[in-house]
Amino acid sequence: MNTNVVIIIPVYNEAKVISGVVSSALKSFKYVVCVNDGSSDDSSVEIVKTDAYLVEHPINMGQGAALQTGIEFARQLPVDYFVTFDADGQHRIKDVQSMLKEIKTGKYDIMLGSRFLGETIGMKNSKRIILKLAIQFSNIISGLKLTDTHNGLRVFNRTVAEGMQITLPDMAHASEILEIIAEKKYRYKEIPVTIEYTDYSRAKGQSIINAVNIGFDALLRKITK
Amino acid sequence: MIIIIQIIVIVLALVIAVATLENRSTHSGKAWKKIALVLLAVGMVVAVLFPDTTNDAAHLVGVGRGADLLLYVTVIAFIFYALNNYLHQQDQRDVLFRLARRIALVDANERYNIRKK
Repeated sequence: MNTNVVIIIPVYNEAKVISGVVSSALKSFKYVVCVNDGSSDDSSVEIVKTDAYLVEHPINMGQGAALQTGIEFARQLPVDYFVTFDADGQHRIKDVQSMLKEIKTGKYDIMLGSRFLGETIGMKNSKRIILKLAIQFSNIISGLKLTDTHNGLRVFNRTVAEGMQITLPDMAHASEILEIIAEKKYRYKEIPVTIEYTDYSRAKGQSIINAVNIGFDALLRKITK
Repeated sequence: MIIIIQIIVIVLALVIAVATLENRSTHSGKAWKKIALVLLAVGMVVAVLFPDTTNDAAHLVGVGRGADLLLYVTVIAFIFYALNNYLHQQDQRDVLFRLARRIALVDANERYNIRKK
């Protein structure tokens, strides 16, 4: 049992799968924080059944906002390492363990999961192309060199958790986190992770056209900053 | 002659965009918006009272007709407005979200008996 780590899971309408994801995380980790982002289904009921902490957004604010809330809550827990984890079951606990092993060497501040270094099961080609384009775009904006910029699996230390201030509420937060890493010069490393695209996660995943929104907001931020 | 209006429109659009984005919450930024609005209103009145003035102005910068010039100005004004509105909305949303997060955290801390350090 890992008592030094907190798993942060933003949850939005995941009633069908969330309890399974939470229970499997609780097998290896003492602290799991779920942020229910104003779900309209029974997500919070399912979370309450488990031993995870539940933080409830009064309104739906988006995944980035839920992550920030989760991080702010988790800072109060007696842990040194913070993990962001998707609620739909596409990440593997095994990958978290290998990222933790690496970050505990103290050589890095933040570990980022990469599905392109690792194995990706069942990703559509159209999604692959859009993601690759998004990665190019994001690398140019943030100045980092990464193979995967929109991966929900991250492990970071307390320094990063205290410094993290995500302001973009929706999916654009992934790019914003990278900008924060670049700006604060955190030491980062990508770790290959396996993403399992099930029918469920595919149906829930963001549509390709949303890349336009993310790109527009990222550019606007660059101008207005 | 056509070059002039192209340069003017493009430069104006860029200047307005950058200036408003940078100064949108300062006093002078707000003041300039009001001045621009008044100028627009005055311009409109002048254009209605003396229809030829728009044509003259158009010819001066290389646009065929006054109506075309008006259209260009309107488009710039609209883009300016839309962008400004979008940013304003985002600022408001940030305030709302910070408030909602505060509520969520206070509520959770109460439930789990966590005292704020």
